[in-house]
Amino acid sequence: MARGLRLSSELIAGVLVGAVLGWGFDRLLSTSPFGFIVFFLLGFAAGVLNLVRSAGVAPDRSGR
Amino acid sequence: MIDPIHQFQLNKIFTIGHIGNQEIVFTTSSAYMLLAVAIIAVMMMAAGRQLVPGRFQSVVELSYEFVANTIRTSAGSHGMTFFPLVFSLFMFIFVSNIVGIIPYTFTISSHIIVTFSLALLVFLTVIIYGFYKNGLKFLKLFVPSGIPVVILPLVVLIEIISFFSRPISHSVRLFANMLAGHVTLKVFASFVTMLGALGFVGKVGALLPLGLTVALTALELMVAFLQAYVFTILTCIYLNDAIHPGH
Repeated sequence: MARGLRLSSELIAGVLVGAVLGWGFDRLLSTSPFGFIVFFLLGFAAGVLNLVRSAGVAPDRSGR
Repeated sequence: MIDPIHQFQLNKIFTIGHIGNQEIVFTTSSAYMLLAVAIIAVMMMAAGRQLVPGRFQSVVELSYEFVANTIRTSAGSHGMTFFPLVFSLFMFIFVSNIVGIIPYTFTISSHIIVTFSLALLVFLTVIIYGFYKNGLKFLKLFVPSGIPVVILPLVVLIEIISFFSRPISHSVRLFANMLAGHVTLKVFASFVTMLGALGFVGKVGALLPLGLTVALTALELMVAFLQAYVFTILTCIYLNDAIHPGH
């Protein structure tokens, strides 16, 4: 259970931050809904990156 | 049915004052925070400095060595600058988690705002110290080496989002583990009383959840330590980024 919670929290955090950033971007520049769409997808990518790093599949940045 | 969420309710003990119209209240959570700090303080004060350590002194020396080793292995010897911060975080979370396992007590790390404040403290420390120590070179953290220029902007954007998601995953991990563990424990314990009310057959059947509750308590004891350790080790990894960015 601990491992599952750890990995899922990584993914959800990435998506959440992407969504919030996109929403704020739209609010500031009134580009709704494109900012949200783009940042949501980027957030998903960041979440997967977090997930893969935390699972230890990909090397954690280069040289470590 | 016994309400498994009831244990997380905050109760007002007394009012400290007002900021604007907002009431500032001393709650059960604050009381248990103070209790954790008091336990740590008493442990540290009572330790003594004998050459042959007594009981308290062994525990204190052991925890010092443990945290110091964790910092050295994951943030390098330079990370020892942050020993006071990391040690305080570890002891605070560990002691409050252990106190929370005792029945009828309150677990402060089962509230996300508490763990999020702790994670935000680490996050801001990393940003401020990173810029203070490395200047603009700190931004190299977001630019991995050996990436083609064409997709670099995309990668940098993803790295930035990944960086900002750190305090969330950092806090949710501790919070979710403590919350889930305590709810599971409560649910299995309430099965014992519910089955026990069903006569002889129920009492025999209640032995199974009773055994599970005992086993889960042992598991929770391990989780209490493990999650404090995970929080500490993640803190060290993040601090390592502030000390040596662009690795």
